Amino acid sequence: MDPIRRSLLGQLARLSAGAALVPLSSVANAGINQQPPRREGDPTKRYGMLIDLRQCIGCQACTVSCHIENAAPLGSFRTTVAQYEVEHQETGEVATFMLPRLCNHCENPPCVPVCPVEATFQRQDGIVVVDSDRCVGCAYCVNACPYDARFINERTQTADKCTFCAHRLEAGLLPACVESCVGGARIIGDMRDPASQISRMISEHGDELMVLQPEKHTMPQVFYLGMDERFVTRPHAEPVALEVLDPHGKEMGYEFHH
Amino acid sequence: MDKSRRRFMKGAVAAGGVATFAAGYSDPLLKMGKGVTGSAGEKPNHRIHDNSLVPEYTVDPQSGELTLNPDQRVAFTVCYGCTTKCGVRVRVDKATDQVLRVSGNPYNPLSSDEHLPMRTPVVDALRGLSAYGDQGQQNRSTACARGNAMMAQIDSPFRVTHCLKRVGGRGGREWQKISFEQLIEEVCEGGDLFGEGEVDGLRAIHDHDTLIDPENPEYGPRANQLMVMEATDYGRSALLKRFTMNAFATRNYGHHGSYCGLAYRMGSGAVMDDLAKNAHTKPDIQNARFILYVGTAPSQAGNPFKRQGRLIAQARAAGTLDYVVVDPGLNASVSHAADHNRWVPILPGTDSALAMGMIQWLLNNEGYAKGFLELPGQPAADAANEATHTNATHLVIDTEGHPRRGRFLRASDLNQAEAGSEADVPMVVADGELVASDSVMAAELFVNREVALADGETLRVRSSMTLLRDAANEQDLATYAEHCGIPEDTIVDLARRFASHGRRAVTNSHGGMMSGHGFYAAFGMQMLNVLAGNHNRKGGSAVGGGQFNGVGEGPRYDLANFPGKRGPQGVFLSRSRFPYEKSSEYQRKVAAGKNPYPARAPWRSLAPPTLTEHLPSALDGYPYPIKAVIGCMANPIYGQAGLEALIADKLKDPKRLGLFVAIDGFLNETNRYADYIVPDSVMYEVWGFTSAWKGNLGKMTTACWPVVEPRQQKSEEGEPVSMDSFFIAVAKRLGLAGFGDEAIPDAEGNLHPLHLAEDFYLRAAANVAMQGEPLPAADESDIVHAGLAPLMPRIERTLKPEEHGPVAYLYARGGRFEDFKDHFKGENLTSAWKRTLCVYNEQVGTSIDTRNGELNRGVPFYSMPKLADGSAMREVFTEEEWPLLAFSFKSNLMNSYAIGLERLRMIKPYNPVMMHRQDAERFGISHGDTIRIESPGGSVVALALVGEGVMPGALGIEHGYGHRDLGATPHVIDGESQPDLEWLRAGININNLGFKDPTRSVAGTWLEPISGAAVRQGLPIRVTHIDV
Ligand code: SF4
Ligand code: SF4
Ligand code: SF4
Repeated sequence: MDPIRRSLLGQLARLSAGAALVPLSSVANAGINQQPPRREGDPTKRYGMLIDLRQCIGCQACTVSCHIENAAPLGSFRTTVAQYEVEHQETGEVATFMLPRLCNHCENPPCVPVCPVEATFQRQDGIVVVDSDRCVGCAYCVNACPYDARFINERTQTADKCTFCAHRLEAGLLPACVESCVGGARIIGDMRDPASQISRMISEHGDELMVLQPEKHTMPQVFYLGMDERFVTRPHAEPVALEVLDPHGKEMGYEFHH
Repeated sequence: MDKSRRRFMKGAVAAGGVATFAAGYSDPLLKMGKGVTGSAGEKPNHRIHDNSLVPEYTVDPQSGELTLNPDQRVAFTVCYGCTTKCGVRVRVDKATDQVLRVSGNPYNPLSSDEHLPMRTPVVDALRGLSAYGDQGQQNRSTACARGNAMMAQIDSPFRVTHCLKRVGGRGGREWQKISFEQLIEEVCEGGDLFGEGEVDGLRAIHDHDTLIDPENPEYGPRANQLMVMEATDYGRSALLKRFTMNAFATRNYGHHGSYCGLAYRMGSGAVMDDLAKNAHTKPDIQNARFILYVGTAPSQAGNPFKRQGRLIAQARAAGTLDYVVVDPGLNASVSHAADHNRWVPILPGTDSALAMGMIQWLLNNEGYAKGFLELPGQPAADAANEATHTNATHLVIDTEGHPRRGRFLRASDLNQAEAGSEADVPMVVADGELVASDSVMAAELFVNREVALADGETLRVRSSMTLLRDAANEQDLATYAEHCGIPEDTIVDLARRFASHGRRAVTNSHGGMMSGHGFYAAFGMQMLNVLAGNHNRKGGSAVGGGQFNGVGEGPRYDLANFPGKRGPQGVFLSRSRFPYEKSSEYQRKVAAGKNPYPARAPWRSLAPPTLTEHLPSALDGYPYPIKAVIGCMANPIYGQAGLEALIADKLKDPKRLGLFVAIDGFLNETNRYADYIVPDSVMYEVWGFTSAWKGNLGKMTTACWPVVEPRQQKSEEGEPVSMDSFFIAVAKRLGLAGFGDEAIPDAEGNLHPLHLAEDFYLRAAANVAMQGEPLPAADESDIVHAGLAPLMPRIERTLKPEEHGPVAYLYARGGRFEDFKDHFKGENLTSAWKRTLCVYNEQVGTSIDTRNGELNRGVPFYSMPKLADGSAMREVFTEEEWPLLAFSFKSNLMNSYAIGLERLRMIKPYNPVMMHRQDAERFGISHGDTIRIESPGGSVVALALVGEGVMPGALGIEHGYGHRDLGATPHVIDGESQPDLEWLRAGININNLGFKDPTRSVAGTWLEPISGAAVRQGLPIRVTHIDV
C-alpha cells in the first residue's frame, strides 16, 4: 500500500474514533440522520467497548463463552477473533495479528433504519438490539451491517447479534466475553461516566484508538488500541479453512452449516 | 509503539477464526435467498435477550449488594481442559444439575490476574467479578476457550456411562454392558473370560513370592507383570499410585511424560542436578527484560496456559519485555499489535545447534555472569547473597580410559578427606592452587591441567566450564547456523541481546525439544540460564512456590503410609533408572567372553520409567512379558509417534497381553483395545488436588469435588463407578493393605476406613487446610455463596468436628493459595532452588551409553538427530528421499482429547498443515491443495496452508486432530451404534507419521537416546500433490 493512502486511512480512522468519543446526551434520543428515536435502556449511560489488541492472545475464550452465554446455534457467532499472518515489508519478519470483532453498537447504525418492522432498534444506552417478538427474519439488517455482525438464528428465525450481554450489564455483571478475556484485552463500560475504566482509557489513548471502517460513517463504539490502520477496512483475505478433509482427502464441508 | 508499522498483511491469511466469520455470516444471506419469513422459529425466552442465560447473581451498581439467583449455584473446582488444571468457577442449574457456564476462580493464581487473598469472604470474591466499580475487568479470572467448551463432555453422546466388556476380538469396537460387580469379579479372578482361553486375573498376578524370571532375579516379583498407566495427574494420582505402587506394588507405572515433554524435562533436570524429578523452571515474566522462547510459546500453548498468556500480554502492552520466539512455525505468541517481540524460524530438531552457537558466542565474549559462576561452593554463595552456586569451576577427571573419568576430582582423590564424607568436596583452582571448593570465595573458570595424586598417578582434569567451551567450539558458528537454518548474525544478535540483559535474560523451552537430540538440546538451552546466572533471581528462572501437599504425612492424616504398605521392586519394563551393567544379562555376556554391547535394547540409566518403552517392550517380552494393563485416561496410541503401527497387532493378541482394563469416560484410540471399560467421572464430577505445574511464584493447591452428580452407572452400594471406586473395589476384593477398613492412620495413630473416594480426598483436604497455620472455619455466607450445600453432609460424616470448618473454608475457595505478595527478597526469589547448578552433570557424564559402552557426555553438545544404533537419521532417511521435516505444535484451542467438543470444532474444524511458499513451489503445491504426506512409517492426506509463517524445509502440524476414536469411529454397545460423526475424523495426527526405528532389534519407535522420549519434532517426510 502506498504511504499516502496509508496515512490518509490512518487519519480517517483516528478522526472518526475521536468524533465518536463525544456521546452527546442531547442527541441520544433525537436520533441521527434518519435513525428512529432510541427507546428503552438507561438514558444516563452510553456503553462502549475498548479492545487492547496488544493484549489479545487470540485464545477465542471470548468466542466460546459468548456462544454459551447467549445460546447461539453452532456455527453462528456474535463475536469472533480472526488471526492474520503479517510480514515486515523490509525484513520479511513475520508476526500474527489478532482481530476480535463484534457488533460495534454504532452511533449511527445502518442496521436500524432498514428494519421494516422496527424490530431492530437502538436503546438509549447505545446498545443495538433486536426485538424478537417483532422481527420477521427478513435479514435486511444482516445485509445492512457492514461488519457482518448479524445472522439469522436458525432456531428463532430472527436476527441475532451481540447485545453487549445487556442481560448481564443490567444485573451488574460483565458480558461473557469481557469476563472471560484471558489476555485482558476487552474493556466495557459506560462512556458517560468519566470515572469508568473505559472513559479513562479513552482519554489516555484517545489519539491511538481506531475503529473499523470509519469511512462508512457508522461511528462505531468499539475502539481498538494497538490497531494497524490497514486493518480498519477489514482485510479481504481468503479464509483459511478452505475445505475440511476427511482422512482420505474427501471434502467434508463445514459441519455447522445450516 | 512502532508507529511506522512496517509489516504488511500477507495475501494469504493464516490460522483460525477467519473461517468462523465466513461460516457464520454467509448463512443469513443464503437464508434470504430462500425467503425466510421468521414465522417458523422457536420463541425465545426473552424478546431482547433471547435465550441468553439468566445471570447467576445480581450486583447493585450503587451499593454493590449481591443477590444470588436461587435457581443456580456457583462452585469452585478444577478444569481438566489441559494439564494446566486451572481452578474454575462453575455455574450449575440447581433443578437440572446442568453446568451452565464456566469461568475462572478468583482465588486461583492460574486463572486470575491478581488472585484474591484467602481471607476474602466468598461473597466479596463474587462481587469482585462483577461490573461493580469495573472490578471484574480490572482483575479478571477467566477460563480459556477450551475451558469454556469442556463442559460439553459431561453429556457428550460419546461418553461411556456403563461398565463395558468387549464382544469379539480386541479392538473390534463392540461391547456389552455389564455390572460393576461382574467387572470387578472377572478382572480379579480371571478365567476363560472371552472364550479365548484362560486369563490370569489380578489375584493371580499379585504374587510377590515368585520371581518373574529366576535367570534374571533383578526383574523382581511377578506382581510387576501388572502395568498401570495414566495420562497425567489430574488430581487423583495419589490414589492410583497408592494402589499401584504400595498396595498391589508393581514396579510398572507410567504416564504421558515420555511422549509429551520428557526430553526437555531431563535437559532441565541435568542443569538443576535433579534427574530424579527433573525439576524445571519458568521465566518470571513480570520482571524479566528479555526472554528467549525456544520450542515453547506462551499464549499459544504451554503450561500454565492462561497465566503465561496473560502475563505476556500485559508485558507487551506495558512494553517492559523484549521477547523472541524461536520455533519452526509462527504462532499466536508473536503479535504485530505491539513491538519488542519477534519470531525466528528454525529447522525442526536442530535446537542444539542454536544452543551451542549461542553458548560459543557467550563464552568467547564473556557474555556470562562471571562473578556468579566463579563462586565455587555454598560458603562463597552465602557470602555473595546467592541461593546457590554452580559447578562451573569444579574440576572433572578427563583422563582417557581412567575408571574415574567423568567424576569430579574430589578432596578424597588427594587424600584430603574421606571418600563420601561431607568434606569430600570437588576441587577447584584458585590463584593457581588446587583447593577444596568450599574453602575459597572464587575460583578459576577455565582450567585444563594435570594433577598429581598422592600415589603419584597423574590425571588430566578440566573444569566444567572448559568442557563446555570445548563442546561449544566443536563446530564453528557458520556450521551451527547452517544446520539450524538461523543466519549467523541472528544467532550472534540473540546471544548479544541475551547477554546485554544480564541476569534478567531468560530462556525457556518445552515440547519443541522432543527431537532426536532433544535431551542435549534442552540441556544446552537451559545452560544459557546458568550462564546468565538467572536462577532464583527476580526476572529470571523461577522454580515456583510449590504446593500444600495433602497426600503425604499430613498434620491430620498420614496418606503416604499405612500398615502393610509395600514398596515396588525390580527393573522397569522400560529398563530405565537401572544400569545395564548390573543386569544378569550383562554379567552372563561378560562371563561368556562376549561383548555385552550393544545391549539388546536401550537401557537408560538416567531416564525415569517411560511409557514409550513400557508397552512395546512388554509386548515383545523384553526384559519380561506382562499379563495385565490398567490404563486411566491414557492414550499413548494417539500420543506417541509411530506407536500404533508398531504395536496395534500385538496389542490385539491375548497371548501377548492377557488383560487390559481401561478407566475412562471416553473410548480413545488406546482403550479401544481394552477388554473392559470402567466408566469414569469427568471433570466437575471428580475429587482431587492439583497444583501449578510451574510458573506461579506462590504456594498453591487447587481442590476439586463433585460439583455436579457423576452421570455414570452406580455400584450396588450406590457409589458412582470411577477410577477411585475401581481401585478401592479391586483392592478390597484382593485384600490389599491400605484400602477398606483400617486403612488411613490419623495423627494419633487411629485407623480410618477407605471405602469411598471421599474417605481419601476429604482427609487430604484436612491435611491441606490444617497444615502450617490452619485455615479458619467457613461461615454460613461462604457456604452459601460457594454452593457447598451438597458437600457439607459429606464433610460432616467423614471428618472430625474440628476439621469441618477449615475444610469447608478450603472448598469454599477452591483450594489453598498463598496470598499474592512480593515473592522477592531484594533481587532474589523467595522460593529458591538450592542444589548446585550444573555446567557439567556428573551423573550424565558417568553414565554409560548401552549402544557402545562409552560414557555419555556430561555437557551439552551439538549433534544432528540419530537413531537407536547411533547412525544419523539423515543417513538412513536421506534428504533426497524425504526432503522435508515435519513438526508438531500445540493448538491454542484443541487438545488431544477435545475433538468431541462442538464449540471448538466450529471454530477450528480441522488442521491444515503449514508449508512454506518456497517448498510449495518446489513441489508444485498451491495454497489450499490436497497433499499426501508420507513418512517412513505412514501416510496421511492433508490440506496445505501455504505462507511465510513456517521455516522452509519444515512442515507444521497442529496437534489434536486426525482422530480415529473418541467418536471418530462409532462403537457398538449392546448392539446399538454410537452416532457416526465424520467430522471428528477430520484432519491429521503427526503421530501417524512416526515410524519404527529400523536400527532396533527389540521393536521400538524412534526415541531420543538419553531420555527415551518419543521423537515427533523433525520427522522425515515427503509431500505430493494429489487430485481427489
Ligand atoms: S455493527 Fe452492525 S449490527 Fe452493530 S450497530 Fe453497527 S450496523 Fe448494527
Ligand atoms: S478472550 Fe480476549 S485475549 Fe482471548 S481472543 Fe478474545 S479478546 Fe483476545
Ligand atoms: S488453560 Fe484452559 S483448558 Fe487448560 S486448565 Fe486452564 S481453563 Fe482449562
